[in-house]
Amino acid sequence: MSGVRWILLVGMGLTFTPNSAGHASDLRIEPAQATLAGSDARQQLIVTLSSGNRETDVTQTAKFVSSDSGIATIDVHGVVRPVADGVVTITATNGQANATAQVVVRQGNQPLPISFRHDIIPLLTKTGCNSGNCHGKQAGRNGFKLSLFGFDHAFDYDAIVREARGRRLFRASPDRSLLLAKAAGQLPHGGGRRFDKGDPQYQLLLRWIDAGSPFESERDDVSLTGIQVVPASRVLSTHSRQQVIVTALFSDGSTSDVTHLSSYTTNNEALAQVDGNGLFATTNLGGEFAVMANYMGHVETCRVTIPMNAPLPKEARQSAWDTSHYIDRLLAEKWEKLNLAPSARCDDATFLRRATLDCIGRLPTPREVKDFLANPSPKKRTQLVEALLTRDEYADFWTVKWADLLRLNAEQLGAKNAYVFDAWLREVFRKNLPYDQFVRQLLTAQGDSFENGATNFYKAFAKPKDLTIASSQIFLGIRLECAQCHHHPYEKWGQDDFYGLAAFFPRLTRKRGTGGAELLFVGGKADVKHPRTGLIVAPRTLEGAPIELLPGEDRRKYLADWMTDPKNRFVARALVNRVWADFMGRGLVEPIDDMRATNPATSEELLAALAADFVKNGFDIKHLIRTITSSNAYGLSSIPNRWNVRDTYNYSRAYRKRIPAEVLLDAVSDVTGSTEEFAGMPPGTRAVQLWNNRLPSTFLDVFGRPERKTVCECERSDESSLGQVLHLMNAPLVNEKIQSPVGRAAQLARSKAAPDEIITELYLSALGRFPNDREMNSARKTFASPDSNRRTATEDVLWALLNTAEFVFNH
Amino acid sequence: MTERYCDGVSRRNFVQAGLGGLGLSQLLRAQALSAETKRPAKRCIFIWMDGGPSHHETFDPKPDAQAEIRGIFDTIPTNVSGVQFSEHVPKIAQIMDRLTIVRSISHHDPGHGGGNHYLTTGTSTPTPVACGAKVSFHPSFGSVIAKELGVKDGLPTYVQFALPGPLRSGGPNFLGSKYAPFYVSNNPNNPDFKMADVTLPRGVNDRRARSRESLRREIDNLERITDAAAADPVNGLDNFYQQAVGLITSPAAKRAFDINSEPAKVRDAYGRTMVGQQCLLARRLVEANIPFVIVQHAGWDHHGNIFTYLKNRYLPIFDMAFSALIRDLDDRGLLEDTLVLALGEFGRTPKINKNVGRDHWPGAMSVIAAGAGVPRGQIIGATDKKGAAPSQRRLTVEDFASTLYAKMGINPHKILHDTLGRPIPLVQGGDAIRELM
Repeated sequence: MSGVRWILLVGMGLTFTPNSAGHASDLRIEPAQATLAGSDARQQLIVTLSSGNRETDVTQTAKFVSSDSGIATIDVHGVVRPVADGVVTITATNGQANATAQVVVRQGNQPLPISFRHDIIPLLTKTGCNSGNCHGKQAGRNGFKLSLFGFDHAFDYDAIVREARGRRLFRASPDRSLLLAKAAGQLPHGGGRRFDKGDPQYQLLLRWIDAGSPFESERDDVSLTGIQVVPASRVLSTHSRQQVIVTALFSDGSTSDVTHLSSYTTNNEALAQVDGNGLFATTNLGGEFAVMANYMGHVETCRVTIPMNAPLPKEARQSAWDTSHYIDRLLAEKWEKLNLAPSARCDDATFLRRATLDCIGRLPTPREVKDFLANPSPKKRTQLVEALLTRDEYADFWTVKWADLLRLNAEQLGAKNAYVFDAWLREVFRKNLPYDQFVRQLLTAQGDSFENGATNFYKAFAKPKDLTIASSQIFLGIRLECAQCHHHPYEKWGQDDFYGLAAFFPRLTRKRGTGGAELLFVGGKADVKHPRTGLIVAPRTLEGAPIELLPGEDRRKYLADWMTDPKNRFVARALVNRVWADFMGRGLVEPIDDMRATNPATSEELLAALAADFVKNGFDIKHLIRTITSSNAYGLSSIPNRWNVRDTYNYSRAYRKRIPAEVLLDAVSDVTGSTEEFAGMPPGTRAVQLWNNRLPSTFLDVFGRPERKTVCECERSDESSLGQVLHLMNAPLVNEKIQSPVGRAAQLARSKAAPDEIITELYLSALGRFPNDREMNSARKTFASPDSNRRTATEDVLWALLNTAEFVFNH
Repeated sequence: MTERYCDGVSRRNFVQAGLGGLGLSQLLRAQALSAETKRPAKRCIFIWMDGGPSHHETFDPKPDAQAEIRGIFDTIPTNVSGVQFSEHVPKIAQIMDRLTIVRSISHHDPGHGGGNHYLTTGTSTPTPVACGAKVSFHPSFGSVIAKELGVKDGLPTYVQFALPGPLRSGGPNFLGSKYAPFYVSNNPNNPDFKMADVTLPRGVNDRRARSRESLRREIDNLERITDAAAADPVNGLDNFYQQAVGLITSPAAKRAFDINSEPAKVRDAYGRTMVGQQCLLARRLVEANIPFVIVQHAGWDHHGNIFTYLKNRYLPIFDMAFSALIRDLDDRGLLEDTLVLALGEFGRTPKINKNVGRDHWPGAMSVIAAGAGVPRGQIIGATDKKGAAPSQRRLTVEDFASTLYAKMGINPHKILHDTLGRPIPLVQGGDAIRELM
């Protein structure tokens, strides 16, 4: 007998109570009790072997026996099907161990009435008929159009039953219905044969047509409230298999096994392959992934961990790892599961360079390097960040990031508008305006675009549709664009959601002011219409109810209220994920603005904890930065050990980042002791201070400056290229800086400094550290060479430093 | 990462040998060995017509269809009897006897994002992607060719004109940034065009450049993470420095990019346009044995006013540039072993829409092919009366991709391995189009 008893708690999920402890190895069946109602019902069972703290799915290898196959049968995959009313015991045997489950069958020999929405639509979805490639396509296929993944039941019913003069169904002789004949491959069908005559899908459709193809059924007042996936999480080994069970939960408390009707995907195909029946197999690789089950737009996941290494030897275990910081604790829990050992702590010089680049977008000066290295305080890393956050460069650097997202594009906005918008952003970051207020000020902006910079948000994105796409992607981290035309293919968002948001934006009026200014105010009578129904849509937030408005009210206020509500479940997550990615080199969700149930975070717990902490601390971005940078994880070395070299998303080592275009150009200027000249800007303007991103600069273009035409952070390229390398090696701009008569090289060459001192100074300014002996020797050779003089030798060492990976990367 | 030949001489060794050490006989032997397995196409010029050109207004007109399908352009005969083109490609019509037009390729992806990916990598996106998406799920043709054919004489293997910008899906994906395209983002039609940053800066002679470079290598000490699964972005950099040094020291590269050394008459023949001069420069590049060059002619997404745009701008530019390229290659004997392809991501809708445009239509598209054993004066396949779907010889994108690889001497169905060691077929199914082979 199994050591674990399972109780199916309807609507609340499965839970268990161990009734005896200490079994070395246990076998159990899930669910332990099930009821099958009607002859179409079925129930997938899973057989699990527990041994120590490991659980292994043995469903595919266990032997099943039904106590009475006149009541219910079970196949080799663990699927129980009804035959006649009664109760049976299913026994699974694996080696010496047995486990049982009890199945009750009601109305086992007769089908229940067929429901179009609960039976036919899921069938069409599972068969692929209404997918985006087939009849769910915008224009349908061959004159037959269904709503994408069956989101519009009435439309689909019409299309199947009434359209084309009803020729798709043939009641007098149901098996000659076009719908069946095509899908079963009896007539030519562009989509090929979807099922055979003997298959249950065919039989179900046949019975439905025979019954008069009703739209309504007695179960119409019951709605699907969600689904549940068992197991919800599991630790597996490589080359293993796992079956999941998907249970549909209905509003009347009933449940139904829909494992065979759900579709499955995994977010990491390198780690697992999943078949159409919820059985997946792991590969030879370790890591974490999720299997997503989708049934009628409801998505739930089974999260799987496969240890990346064998249990770690003693010397690799980080017993000294301090888990007092929640980030460190949550990451360490994952490393524990994955058998990952974190890299060593990075040295102080690396930390100084990394934190300075990440917080304020510039290199530490030689003076700062020396001071930091000489500082004996054990708290100097947190003190450093504290000091950096008070510096003016902080606002410049973060303005660049947000100007990208908000499409602060001088060409499109006009120069003065761009300038004012940019100044507004700089002020936001200079004052450290809480993020909720930042969002509110942008969303509710009105007035003169020359006076209130935030109104330019409404110039960058003018139409309600553009504003919907922008505000959902930027602030909610949700890509809603596809829901403009059809139901989101991997999420619950549909046109109702899209146009509900769009309806916050139509009542805006713009007047031209003087000299390119624009006056934006609330007014006008425009409305947003639903493209399908043609009806006026009331504003509605995601997951919210339509809002009733008073005449003349600014609708956007409601949107801002919702977005800045501490309970809003999108905004804080989206923001902390962005900032986390900036510092840690990879978002907890990637792409960082594509958050959805089918794209789970690598650590949902950490993302939730960061978001909660951020909200609790008044949406304070600087607090978030302090939190991240004060973790031990942020201060790890980027050099891997043998256990974590393949870790690319659990932060057990620092991930190297190419320095972004503007920061790199400023760094080249700083190191060479020169300034950059941009057209129309005062001399000495730094690239991160530019309010006009269209100012010509080959350097910035080569290193991936975005054009600011999209709201995607991905528009900025962080890749390396041959062109970049050639540019650093040979570009006239770079070499003029190196050779500048007033630059660092010339000054050092003119000074009385000995070669070693010159070399040291160059290392401190370019790499933020002292040279080691070997490096010193190499550089000295240049000074000793008969081909060079002090000036050219200094220039050459400088050139060589600018062309190292250590310079170009934040490591 | 280098392939070893049976005598142990790898390609990289060969390059080094050329620069430094081996005796002549050894060099010749190595050269003979590296003279690839026989392949019909030594090089390929891939003209990417981004946006999706209308097959109706170019190479697959339907003069007998009703007006809303036919459009307003007349048809003209070509110099191959029985073959008709739309009227605004008269120069190409006069070289039809050197071309093959494939009229019957069709696929299912109606978005620019997915279509770009499909037609420039040979692999459809595993999930639908937005129209504006720039995605990469699979290495692009050029990157695969760069990997398979290797680098020679310091020249880049895969040159892509990033005009107006890089191709959306034209990168190396898991092959690694070593096989990223060499982008040319200067317009060769500008009078001051030159290849950026390949000449040594003022005041730096060869000797100084060499000593700088050797110092750089000595002090570039950031520890490299060699396991590809670590996905360390630094790894690409070393390859780029190797390539960069090759380029800078290669006289062949400088010659190849020197479009100003072309006689004015030749430059005029291609058209003094960004597209025309790209085609001319592409000819110079393949002449220098660069195996894969992508020319871009973007902007064919004519949802409105299609006839005005095509007649006044797009077709005259393309007609002139493409016909000049084929004639020039042929005159120089280069067409024998240079494959030229011109295509976009899909065709356009049979029916003209209310804005006098045609929308995206992956159901049928035309591809122009010439050179490297592609039959002269041939039409492959046909579309139905509306130009909506293939009616003869239905071909897939995978067939097209297989053809391109087979022409370049690469097994289209070879198995690649991604950074995690997973096997990925180069092309999933498909057969090289026999009429082109």
